[in-house]
Amino acid sequence: MFKLRLIQLIPAVLFYALFQVVLRREDDPDLVRRLKAREPKAMADLYQRCGRLAYSVILRIVRNVGVAEDLTQETFLRVWNRVGSFDSERGALTPWVLTVARNRAIDHVRSQDGKLEANAVDLDRLERPGLFMDLDTSALTIDRARRLKSALEKLTANQRTVIELAYYEGMSHTEMAERLQQPLGTVKTWTRSALQVLRSELSEAAVA
Amino acid sequence: MNCEELKDMFELYALGVLDDGEKSEIDAHLARDCKECKRSLAHAMAFNAVLLSIGPEEAPSKRLRHRLLASIGYERPGWFWAGALAAALMLVLAVWLGTQERERSNQLADARKELLQVTGERDRLNQAAQFLSDPETRPASFGKGQSAPRRGYVFLHPQLGVMLIASNLPAAGAGKAYEMWVIPKVGAPRPAGLFQSDGMRGLHLLTGPLDLDALKAVAVTLEPATGSAIPTTVPIIVAAAGS
Ligand SMILES: [Zn+2]
Repeated sequence: MFKLRLIQLIPAVLFYALFQVVLRREDDPDLVRRLKAREPKAMADLYQRCGRLAYSVILRIVRNVGVAEDLTQETFLRVWNRVGSFDSERGALTPWVLTVARNRAIDHVRSQDGKLEANAVDLDRLERPGLFMDLDTSALTIDRARRLKSALEKLTANQRTVIELAYYEGMSHTEMAERLQQPLGTVKTWTRSALQVLRSELSEAAVA
Repeated sequence: MNCEELKDMFELYALGVLDDGEKSEIDAHLARDCKECKRSLAHAMAFNAVLLSIGPEEAPSKRLRHRLLASIGYERPGWFWAGALAAALMLVLAVWLGTQERERSNQLADARKELLQVTGERDRLNQAAQFLSDPETRPASFGKGQSAPRRGYVFLHPQLGVMLIASNLPAAGAGKAYEMWVIPKVGAPRPAGLFQSDGMRGLHLLTGPLDLDALKAVAVTLEPATGSAIPTTVPIIVAAAGS
């Protein structure tokens, strides 16, 4: 009986741990300051905090353990080298690291496919430290994130596919339409409705 | 389009996947410092981060942590200690054998050589760490306009020289090596050392002062293992020095 209850608790505990990691910002100012001061121990702490998450995102995109490890290293070195202009008071570190991780992986896959330049420049621009200021991470609670996860499962197959293609393959609507052999309008509708479902799930949770 | 009409697009904008027309609409709002759109973007960034973070989790190997921290000079990679221990043991063994039997003395020489090599690796890591942490160090860009950019970094420093980290060069092959070149704005490329691509050897340093103002680029070519006086193949990496 007791055992069964413990097992039921595990998902909640996992979520709690995960969102402590993703959303907690209390320690950010101090960690950012230490990173800016080039304290190597700060890098160890940053890796401890979001190395696994960053690696998981990258691996999901590149699907190769060796490449994923290289790109994870590249991600953290990039953060290390650019943290100078990161705002220690108002910046959200983990979203930044995750964005860099995702973009490095997408960039890698796309450059292997021979699709280059414009996209690479754009991704670079979208991971500038200044963009990660004043993110409303405190509004995202464990409960709301859990809802996001279950909302993902409620999406139709088509909606899930386009979300997957945008987040993990970096595809534009035009590219999705080509890949899925669907009219552009249809693909846009799928994406828009999928994001609406996910967003409203979050805001409903906020009201509740 | 007004802010309300753009509202649905910020997640895709933040992912860099919007088609050009829609992207430039949002760019225009952000460029004129539109408060509402900045808020929407911040919201979308947080949303994207949470969405990315709820995927399945996989653990990277322990080696990665060592490698990463070693690259900024915090920890030596695990194999360093293994290597140092092995070399030290061999040295002790060799000393003992050497005193026991004169003819075994060549083992001592081998062990010394190995120890020197391990020490060399450590020194190079320390140099790399010093290089990365110096405020005067600046990165050189590369990959632009190349058909197949390699991943890696080139760092320049007026006193320390050049540091190249090439993370995915294929093995140079038998009888070959990678050669780094320092290309001045005026004059011929100067050879800047040979290196291999496997393991820590993708890290290459040219130590000594460097006139950054006169420097045009740093390049890497594939050459015979003995090196060449001038580049004989098409460069694999060209990092322009201009910041
Ligand atoms: Zn606006």
